[in-house]
Amino acid sequence: MAKGNVLNKLFAAGPLFLLYYLSISEVDTNLEKLFEVFSLNLQIIIIYFWIIKRPNLMGTGHIFFAGLINDVVMGFPLGISSLSYLVVCFFGNYVRNKSVNTTIASDWFTFFIALIFANLLFFSLLNNFSDITTTFTKIGYNTFFTLFAFPIFWLLFNLYQMSFIGSQDA
Amino acid sequence: MSVSRDDFSIAFRSALLQRGASHKFSIFSLIILAIIIFFLDVYGFQAVKTTRSFINDLVYRVTYLASAPTRLFPGINQGIASHFNLKEENEKLKEVIERYKALELNLEYISNENKNLKKVLDIEDVQSVSNVVLAKVLVDRNSPFLKSIVINKGSKEGIIKGMPVTQNKYLIGRIVETNYLSSRVLLLNDLNSRIPVTFDTSSTQAILTGHGTRKPTLEYLPEGYIFEDDITVFASGKDGIFNAGTPIGKTKDNGEVDLFVDPNQLSFVTVNLIKPTKEVF
Repeated sequence: MAKGNVLNKLFAAGPLFLLYYLSISEVDTNLEKLFEVFSLNLQIIIIYFWIIKRPNLMGTGHIFFAGLINDVVMGFPLGISSLSYLVVCFFGNYVRNKSVNTTIASDWFTFFIALIFANLLFFSLLNNFSDITTTFTKIGYNTFFTLFAFPIFWLLFNLYQMSFIGSQDA
Repeated sequence: MSVSRDDFSIAFRSALLQRGASHKFSIFSLIILAIIIFFLDVYGFQAVKTTRSFINDLVYRVTYLASAPTRLFPGINQGIASHFNLKEENEKLKEVIERYKALELNLEYISNENKNLKKVLDIEDVQSVSNVVLAKVLVDRNSPFLKSIVINKGSKEGIIKGMPVTQNKYLIGRIVETNYLSSRVLLLNDLNSRIPVTFDTSSTQAILTGHGTRKPTLEYLPEGYIFEDDITVFASGKDGIFNAGTPIGKTKDNGEVDLFVDPNQLSFVTVNLIKPTKEVF
């Protein structure tokens, strides 16, 4: 029984562990060696999915902290990733409060709005207040690929949730 | 109508201010905290700078450790492959040695000639070989927005912002951030990288501009300039940051520059401890 509890806790900590690992390790989803413009913000997908489905697994403090770590590793001004993650988190919370049951299509649509806001905030803060500049094209590609990867990860995370955590929605 | 507005405001307020068992902080308070941290960092308060430098050193070490598995697997793969290719590799190495022997003779002749010419010109050799620091790449995580690497040497070794970084004497970038035990190097292919360069027989001047893609391009060329393939591009040194004559790459006929060093394959780099004469980045 106790062993089962530990396993359940480990599986429940999986999404948070993945979020931290993606922020701190060299593992990146910027597969430019394969396809030059391909870049993906997997952290945002993780945050949005789990905030909508299982908010108790993804604490806001952890999201904030993962953002700070990501900024240090990437070399961005501190707090910029945290802000964009928290914007996604806010949209996720709002959608969860307003909807009774969600589908992949409704999640995809609301994710699009959250992603646009988060990336716009990231772009405007980075370009206007820091020494680093980036282009609309780069942000655009990132938004595009993140948006189109969302359903794939939605299905994967849903499978993970049903297999290891339990199928009940938040 | 008023009911739906109420619903909206309740959901909005709840999303922003709600706290619970796993949400010890409200999103609103964390957003405010993130904004404060962001502006303190951007406007460079000394206390924040010191804290950031300390956090950077700590996080880079943890990142290096956390990335060990991803580095280990390609290493094992390579080891097995190289074991099976030993004979072939041995023959290739013999050929390379022969080629280097020939080059060495040529080099000796050229350096003698160079010394004699310098004597004629009465120029002092200003660069000392000991004026470099060899550093290991700690983090080379690819960001779509910033092409940089983190090395394991920092201000403790005398590294300061703006110093040129090379690998095998080929320019790869410059220092843009220093911590006590680590530094960040902005690579030549980054969107923010601009290097004055010179190339071809008529010493054409241009700016090597990164675009965040694999190959930077040559800009601000003389009007009507026609690109030719395979011409070596050197740093011109006009910015007071890079050594004049440091090789960078070869031109392509579309204006791109094929860098001598692949920015995605860096393991050890050399920081040239030359104090830049201009403030950079």
